[in-house]
Amino acid sequence: MTTQNIIEEQKRQLHGIRIRDLLTTLTAAASAIAATGFLFSIAPLSGVLSFVLIAYILFIVFFALITAIDDDREGVKDRVASVIIRSAAVIIFSALVFIVVFTISRGFEALPYLNFFTEDMSLAGPLDPLSSGGILHSIMGSLIQIAIALAITIPLGLITAVFLNEIPGKYSRFVRTMVEAMTALPSIVAGLFIYATAILLLGVQKSGFAAALAISVMMLPIMIRASDVVLRIVPGTLKEASLGLGAGAWRTAWMVTLPTARSGLTTAIILATARGIGETSPVLLTSGFTASMNLNPTEGPMVSLPLAIFQFVKSPEPTMIARGFGTAAVLMFLVLILFMLARILGSDKNVFGNLAKNIKKLTKKKVAK
Amino acid sequence: MRLNLKTRLLSLLIIPVIVFGFSSSPAQAADYVPVNGAGSSWSANAIDQWRRNVVQYGMRVNYASTGSSDGRNQFKAGTVDFASSEIPYGLKDGSVVDVLPSRAFAYIPLVAGGTALMYNLKIGGKRFTNLKMSGETLTKVFTGVITSWDDAAIAEENPGISLPKRKIVPVVRSDGSGSTAQFTSWMADEHTKIWDDYCKLAGRSTPCGLTSNYPVVSGKGYVSQPGSQGVSGYVSQNANEGTITYVEYSYALKTGFPVVKLLNKSDHYVLPTASNVAVALLEAKIDTRPGNSYLTQILTGVYSSKDPRSYPLSSYSYLIVPTAVSGSFTASKGATLGDFAYYYLCEGQQQAEVLGYSPLPINLVKAGLEQVKKIPGVSAKNKDVAKCNNPTFSSDGTNLLAKNAPMPPAADKKGYTGTDPGAGGVVDPGTDPGTDPGTDPGTDPGTDPGTDPGTDPGNGGNSGGGGYVDNGGIVDNGIVGPGFCDNDTGICQAVSAEAINPPDQNGKTFAQIQIIFLLVLFLGLLLAVPLISVLRRGHKL
Amino acid sequence: MATKTQTTLSKDALDMAADTQKPRQLKYVWDFQDRIFRGVMRSAGSSVLVIMALVGLFLTLRATEALGTVGFSFFTTQAWEPDSGNFGIAAVIAGTVIIAIIAIVVAVPFSLGTALYISEYAPRRIKRALITMVDLMAAIPSVVFGLWGFFFLQNEVTPVAKWLSQNFGWIPFLSVQGSDPSDPLTSNTVFTSSSLIAGIVVGLMITPIVTSVMREVFSQAPIGEREAALGLGSTRWGMVKNVVLSFGKGGIIGATMLGLGRALGETIAVYMIISPVFVVQPRILENGANSVSSLIALRYGEATQMGMSALMAAGLALFIMTLIVNFAASSIVARSRSGASS
Repeated sequence: MTTQNIIEEQKRQLHGIRIRDLLTTLTAAASAIAATGFLFSIAPLSGVLSFVLIAYILFIVFFALITAIDDDREGVKDRVASVIIRSAAVIIFSALVFIVVFTISRGFEALPYLNFFTEDMSLAGPLDPLSSGGILHSIMGSLIQIAIALAITIPLGLITAVFLNEIPGKYSRFVRTMVEAMTALPSIVAGLFIYATAILLLGVQKSGFAAALAISVMMLPIMIRASDVVLRIVPGTLKEASLGLGAGAWRTAWMVTLPTARSGLTTAIILATARGIGETSPVLLTSGFTASMNLNPTEGPMVSLPLAIFQFVKSPEPTMIARGFGTAAVLMFLVLILFMLARILGSDKNVFGNLAKNIKKLTKKKVAK
Repeated sequence: MRLNLKTRLLSLLIIPVIVFGFSSSPAQAADYVPVNGAGSSWSANAIDQWRRNVVQYGMRVNYASTGSSDGRNQFKAGTVDFASSEIPYGLKDGSVVDVLPSRAFAYIPLVAGGTALMYNLKIGGKRFTNLKMSGETLTKVFTGVITSWDDAAIAEENPGISLPKRKIVPVVRSDGSGSTAQFTSWMADEHTKIWDDYCKLAGRSTPCGLTSNYPVVSGKGYVSQPGSQGVSGYVSQNANEGTITYVEYSYALKTGFPVVKLLNKSDHYVLPTASNVAVALLEAKIDTRPGNSYLTQILTGVYSSKDPRSYPLSSYSYLIVPTAVSGSFTASKGATLGDFAYYYLCEGQQQAEVLGYSPLPINLVKAGLEQVKKIPGVSAKNKDVAKCNNPTFSSDGTNLLAKNAPMPPAADKKGYTGTDPGAGGVVDPGTDPGTDPGTDPGTDPGTDPGTDPGTDPGNGGNSGGGGYVDNGGIVDNGIVGPGFCDNDTGICQAVSAEAINPPDQNGKTFAQIQIIFLLVLFLGLLLAVPLISVLRRGHKL
Repeated sequence: MATKTQTTLSKDALDMAADTQKPRQLKYVWDFQDRIFRGVMRSAGSSVLVIMALVGLFLTLRATEALGTVGFSFFTTQAWEPDSGNFGIAAVIAGTVIIAIIAIVVAVPFSLGTALYISEYAPRRIKRALITMVDLMAAIPSVVFGLWGFFFLQNEVTPVAKWLSQNFGWIPFLSVQGSDPSDPLTSNTVFTSSSLIAGIVVGLMITPIVTSVMREVFSQAPIGEREAALGLGSTRWGMVKNVVLSFGKGGIIGATMLGLGRALGETIAVYMIISPVFVVQPRILENGANSVSSLIALRYGEATQMGMSALMAAGLALFIMTLIVNFAASSIVARSRSGASS
């Protein structure tokens, strides 16, 4: 046998995109689209969605056929599964990105106006153009409500999470089970609870404070559970070392456990905040509605961003709907900022941390010189 | 220390929150304390406008348009300082009596208006605006007896119009609504048997009477939406053809959609304009007995008013105010509420017509001004009603607005078989291209962009952008029957009432795309397979 | 005495010896600082317990008034008229379940695909970014989903629903009453505000959460087994199917049920889309749906004492349902191999 007749062993490529796959994909796609177009001309079908659906199915079929030309059954299954999984991911990501883009693009009409961020709606009516009126009252309302809610939930939640980890036993297991159970509480029921107790029974007004209470009831179990998870990850050896060196439980918790879990706790808090800011249903029942700025959380209705969105889009006027979408864009932006903060503050190695370190290094060098 | 940066960032977050969180609300000019109210969405447009007007005086009035039932309930629970409702307390809804609140209260008349029947119908691709209906036909529409727009009963009342064979979709309120209460009260009074039959179908006990929650029978295709904005917004969507709803006239005006001309007892079809409503309400009986129903209305006379100009579905709405300090209602809140009431009873009524309501007549204004004195903490004023500029006031005490109300045109009399379309169905048909942002791409690519830039970004939408707007049947250029006029050229054409052909969505461009892709298919199949085999043979891919 | 102790061990001596071999009883003596610390912790834990218990107790207590009035027919009546004693959660619970099922049917396949993609197929460089993106998507407020569903999805899905009902209307839950397929003027309104649209929106809403839980589970599949499968010559899909998916079975079910719990409780997106009806409406393409949370949002304001009690009862029923789903999920996850993730 001469060397020319021996076909080279080809290394199976597991990662990256093979040219063969790329070609197969493109061919199958082109064929599917063309075939669907052909189908649509002879059959009484119409509509973009059905076109896309049928084209996709045909694409999978063609892809499988083409791959079957030179791959065995396992190979075909592998390729087809890979295509389906990738397309699922693509569909989901594009759908979710589309939702965000749709909201921002619809809201773009209202965003360029500075008055959108500096005025409230006390003077602007449904027929007024976008150059009057704004959402300052709901931005402030959201911030105030979430600040009160955090003031309630952070101490309570963190200390409870520490409790669950520091004092193990039947009692803390029971509390943990209750907290797990409460994460199942629907947010509307939390709002209903506060409405029925605080507002109807105790006579608290429909106000920012009542809304903050409802948000706290909803956020508390989430906060406790997230912090609990983070605190459990702190290695027991660290705590034992601290205890062994003579520190008491308090000093261990304050100087060892919490600092170790700091980044995780920050992330947990900020994620719970993002959840709390975006919830409409507890606020719907407890905060009332106003078109003017109200900075007093204990008296009078206070609007927050989600409630403002809900109210704006109820109107059929296009300016109001544009305002609603603009508010939604602002809300998403706020959530995005919180998220990025969570990532920055929550990680130990980050751009800012390194930057700070580098700056210190430089200044130290200067001082040394 | 690494902490510094993070602490700094965190403190940046916290400080403004703390600063704003603990500051109290800014002091108002003239030291008015804000008051909160909730209730009727029927009256919401008026209250909203008035609330905006009094901001200049330093008054802050918050109003949540959540429905009359919600408003009355919240007032009972003490969670609001005032409420607005179309119907008073104490009425029986089904088998339930709406109990009176335990706190002392009083009714003050708010504003008058007509409950209009807003509809979305197209004939020949253009919006139809000249629908006439008798009360019986209307009741049958809303109780599912008449289900198609081309029904003989409707056609009989609209001669010469070729109505489409489209299903009627009644849109009703899903929340507890005063509009529902007014509408069902009229149906129960005037067309009892038809209404009771429907109630029985819906599982309610008969005799039915009025209700604040419209009964819906499953499978009849009714749509329910919350709030006046919800129902009017639903009907005004371009794609929702064939829908009809009951809503206060101002909502129909705002969306630019036509309303039904309702037949009154003197055989005229009338629109719910301010003057027609004022004429009708001359027959309203106001309860003048001192007590819990002081100033409430009895409308049976209104329904059967024999004046040719009267609109049957006219009514007043109430403001429910506390007459004693209780709970969170303080005397300083009473001062604000009282001044607000003084404002709307006098100056505010001037705007009623523009907003789509009808101004209160002098007897109700005077009685209302007296009621205001009962609010605790109010700074009593003796308002000179002559300075109110209310269109209904006259020197001899008759209702000027009603007296000068124009008679309905002969074309709107029952049995008119001529071709004059009569009074327009839309107040200002020429400039409002519709507010639908054009989610329905429509069939007409719209070569004429229209003169009114409007708010419609859609360029093919049937409701705007194409430059054609229904003019409510106003005759011009000798065209008979309902017509539309091109805004640009001024040429009017008659509406052709043909059945609408389903749009052909595989247009010319689609065929072109198909041909291109067929070519790609052939090329692809032709070239791809050998290409792959060649590339595969012996080469590393 | 000397002879006694030297030759035999007395009983007392034996006891003493035994005593020294018992483990020493440790006594914790906390100093003042720690006593306060532990006290504070205990009180925090107790107050949280009290708050949670208050919520549950209050709901139950307020609900008993309504339940006492109608008894067991609370679960079978479809109408909702609390003031006349004719109310029940049959229709609203059925509607909630229908919407949740549609949401799960939409979410689970896509979440599975996305989670597998991120953990198995994504290039290492973009994996981190994709994970962050999924977490970010999970934080999008539900009102934004409601907006998108009402202003965009409804217009897109209505013609599809029409086509589905015309061609597949023989399947009972895809039929639509009040729509005549042969009538070109048939109104589109009967396809708006349906359970399908609400279900799709809720499904998209729960997809990020389900995806991230599944992804975490898949990433914990033992590397040894993965490499073994690849080493034995299996394709990537074969490895995924036999190692990752079978390892993550419990995690998949857990994530699904977590998503189900979220879908059951979703309020505002559903409220903005549906047109409420008070009968069991299994035809998902047709106008008219309902859910417990949107019922509460709609009727809380105008509810009288009895109405409030009825709403509390409905809320309690929903809460119990979500609770059962959550607990089932955690027990399944705990029993599976992928158990220890949370």
